[in-house]
Amino acid sequence: MLRITGGKIYDPANGIDGHVRDICINDRGKIVDSVDGGRTINASGMIIFPGGVDVHTHVAGGAMNFARAMTPEDHRRTQAFIRTQSRRSGLGGMAPTTFATGYLYAGMGFTTVNEAAVPVLSARHTHEELADIPIVDKATLTLMANNEIMLDQMEAGEYERAKNVVAWYIWAAKSYGVKAVNPGGVAAWKWGSDAKQMTDSIDGYNSLTPGKIVTMLATICDDLGLPHPMHLHCNNLGAPGNISTTLDTLKHLEGHRAHIAHSQYHAYGGDDWDTMCSATAQLAEYFNTHPNITTDAGAVLFGDTVTITADGPWQHLLYKLTGRKWGNLDVENETGCGIVPYTYRPSNLVNAVQWASGLELMLLIKNPWQVFLSTDHPNGGCFWRYPEIIQLLMCADFRNECIAKLPDKIKGRITLPEIDREYTLYEVATSMSAGPARALGLTQKGNLGVGCDADIVIYEEEDDVARMFSHPRYVIKAGEVVIEDGEIRETPEGREFLVKPSYAPETDEFMRPRFEDCYTMSFENYPVEIERIENPNMQECINANED
Amino acid sequence: MTCTLGEVKQRADFIVYWGGNPAECHPRHFTKYTIMQKSKFLPRGRKDRTMVLVDIRETKSAKAADIFMQVKPGKDFELITILRALIKHQHVGDDQIAETGVTREMLDDLVQRMKSCKFGCFFFGMGLSMTRGKHMNSAALLTLAAEMNAFTKFVAMPMRGHGNVTGADVIMRWQTGYPFGITFNRGYPRYNPGEFSTVDVLVRGDCDAAFIIGADPGATMPQPAIDHLKRIPTICLDPHITHTSKLARVHITTAAQGISAPGTAYRMDELPLPLKPALKSPYPTDEDVVRRINKAISEKPFWLPEGSQPQMITAQV
Ligand SMILES: [Zn+2]
Repeated sequence: MLRITGGKIYDPANGIDGHVRDICINDRGKIVDSVDGGRTINASGMIIFPGGVDVHTHVAGGAMNFARAMTPEDHRRTQAFIRTQSRRSGLGGMAPTTFATGYLYAGMGFTTVNEAAVPVLSARHTHEELADIPIVDKATLTLMANNEIMLDQMEAGEYERAKNVVAWYIWAAKSYGVKAVNPGGVAAWKWGSDAKQMTDSIDGYNSLTPGKIVTMLATICDDLGLPHPMHLHCNNLGAPGNISTTLDTLKHLEGHRAHIAHSQYHAYGGDDWDTMCSATAQLAEYFNTHPNITTDAGAVLFGDTVTITADGPWQHLLYKLTGRKWGNLDVENETGCGIVPYTYRPSNLVNAVQWASGLELMLLIKNPWQVFLSTDHPNGGCFWRYPEIIQLLMCADFRNECIAKLPDKIKGRITLPEIDREYTLYEVATSMSAGPARALGLTQKGNLGVGCDADIVIYEEEDDVARMFSHPRYVIKAGEVVIEDGEIRETPEGREFLVKPSYAPETDEFMRPRFEDCYTMSFENYPVEIERIENPNMQECINANED
Repeated sequence: MTCTLGEVKQRADFIVYWGGNPAECHPRHFTKYTIMQKSKFLPRGRKDRTMVLVDIRETKSAKAADIFMQVKPGKDFELITILRALIKHQHVGDDQIAETGVTREMLDDLVQRMKSCKFGCFFFGMGLSMTRGKHMNSAALLTLAAEMNAFTKFVAMPMRGHGNVTGADVIMRWQTGYPFGITFNRGYPRYNPGEFSTVDVLVRGDCDAAFIIGADPGATMPQPAIDHLKRIPTICLDPHITHTSKLARVHITTAAQGISAPGTAYRMDELPLPLKPALKSPYPTDEDVVRRINKAISEKPFWLPEGSQPQMITAQV
């Protein structure tokens, strides 16, 4: 039992904007009206947020582990966690080890993360890694948009069957929803080509286009009642002029819920690398008039990182641009993924445009319930650098100092210098916690109301915003004080959120022959058993078509 | 750039085994995953695929290959570099080619085939990764495959050793950042294969005790390493009597993984497969034993003095 008194509470889910109130927590880690006895934390002069929620990150699984293998020189120079009685050892850096990932997220006040790209075939591996990430709660999304069994059904116009296939995969992978990467494009990439526009044909199919896949998959996610809508990584990522593809994609989503991943990478104007510019104003305008769609920034921070995405064509482009080592991992029948170490430099005009675009989206999209803090970790920057982004959002002066360091040629390519908006603490709390929790459909998260999970972060109020957000005074996870005065005190296991959308019972028999035709794994060995998930937490499907 | 075996089974019409002897070392590999398979894209199976073997000697696998290229021992790196030049139409001198033991005609033919296939795959075996310049060789081959993507789809994949070596490698990587050759002697993981690998530590006599699971170093390691294992308290977990179990002070008989103990095996391409036990064993699993040992150790005093809390090292030197 725990009582927190005297703190200023920022709880956007309940419209509480800096009021001083007490928070009580019971023995089951839930927020309640009152408690008798137990510890009291005096939070006078402190700021209280719901624990952070990362709507889009890559922390576990084959691709991340491949990235770890490719960056030994980074492991050597990065921070190291020494083993203590409460904590296991590990390494931070661009691709942190599993235990360190939990400590770093919690150390920054984040208590829930969504692993946004799980190939079904290696889902078992992803879950094993997630079980080794302590403290935070986790959800996973299954990569679906290039699944050949599903695409074959879509091509044949068999909507019901395609829907059953999607539901079957979600449960087989023990995941929480659907991630669509570069619909149609990754399937084409397996032959070395790409599908960039919504109306492009896809190698190996006659009538199917990326546009049709997008609409059908969004409909499937709504009809299945997934708590989190289709999570879409649009086609043509990272390419100059891709704003037209992105806007066209959005038109295919009219009338549906959707979450657009890392929109910074999808908001460029210009015709080539020399004329590339920010087109965030157009994209923000779309969001401002379409409340059915949410997004995360996919912001870029200058410095070293490793890019890892399920978008093979984009990775190959990066490799050609940088000539640095390249790892590409194609998972049979599912999707591909590539890995390139990368350095974003302020002196590089393309990188400067990317840096500005991420911030512009967060500032130009008016409603913080629609745009969330993310770097598409590790692609745009490492997650443990989020406080730097918060500082850029909250302090226009600091932002202008940074803009002044960009090359002169940046003028006219970005709109950031004209923006004077500064995030309030209330807006930060929305964008890093309440908003992403709502978009994920996790009603017990990002919310300090009675009955919700007691995931709470308490900051000592100070002027240096980046410092304040990177060093919380207390972090409480499910009612347990896990960080206190900058030290890790407890490292409880997190939970994993799962859904079981319903599918026709004959789907198993439908899948078997197709599966055995496509994969080198026996059908029986494929689905992840529920016993393999550490602390599974079933979430209900919803009626998504009502409103 | 790598892929899963399923991709190869489905799509690869051009397969190069480099420094591997799959016919003898991975007998199921041919039939199950690669050249013998028919697929949606390659309906005639073996007939639709071309297989090349590059090795220093003519092994049994050479008979199965369409083309066998015999490279001089220790010249793999040179041969890969020449191929990287040839695909880009860069000039390569006759003596440079002669050094590798392969003719220009063979190389031109190989380059032409590599460029005209739809999906190419290099498998590289111990022959490539364990010879002179180990890491350089595999890195060069990975680069060649990356560069081939300017012309067509190409991937490369290592062929690893037996047992669940891949599994150990995968898990060590997610927990410590490194696949093997790791030391925790400063309280956090550090990596240096030539220094911290088991064999090096044993030969130098650096460790005070040894704990061995699912391996038989007593059969394979050099004599000085074995002598050290005999000198120190060695604990061995194994379902069978092995060379190591005989020299160990303690041998705990455990249930055999996959036969009577559940778990996960990681395939060569790192795809995880569940191990579903068919039999019940009277013996505990490795996991049970390790958990019980851990529990007993946690009741002993911690290795750091009471109250000391090292935080983290922000930048390592
Ligand atoms: Zn991502």
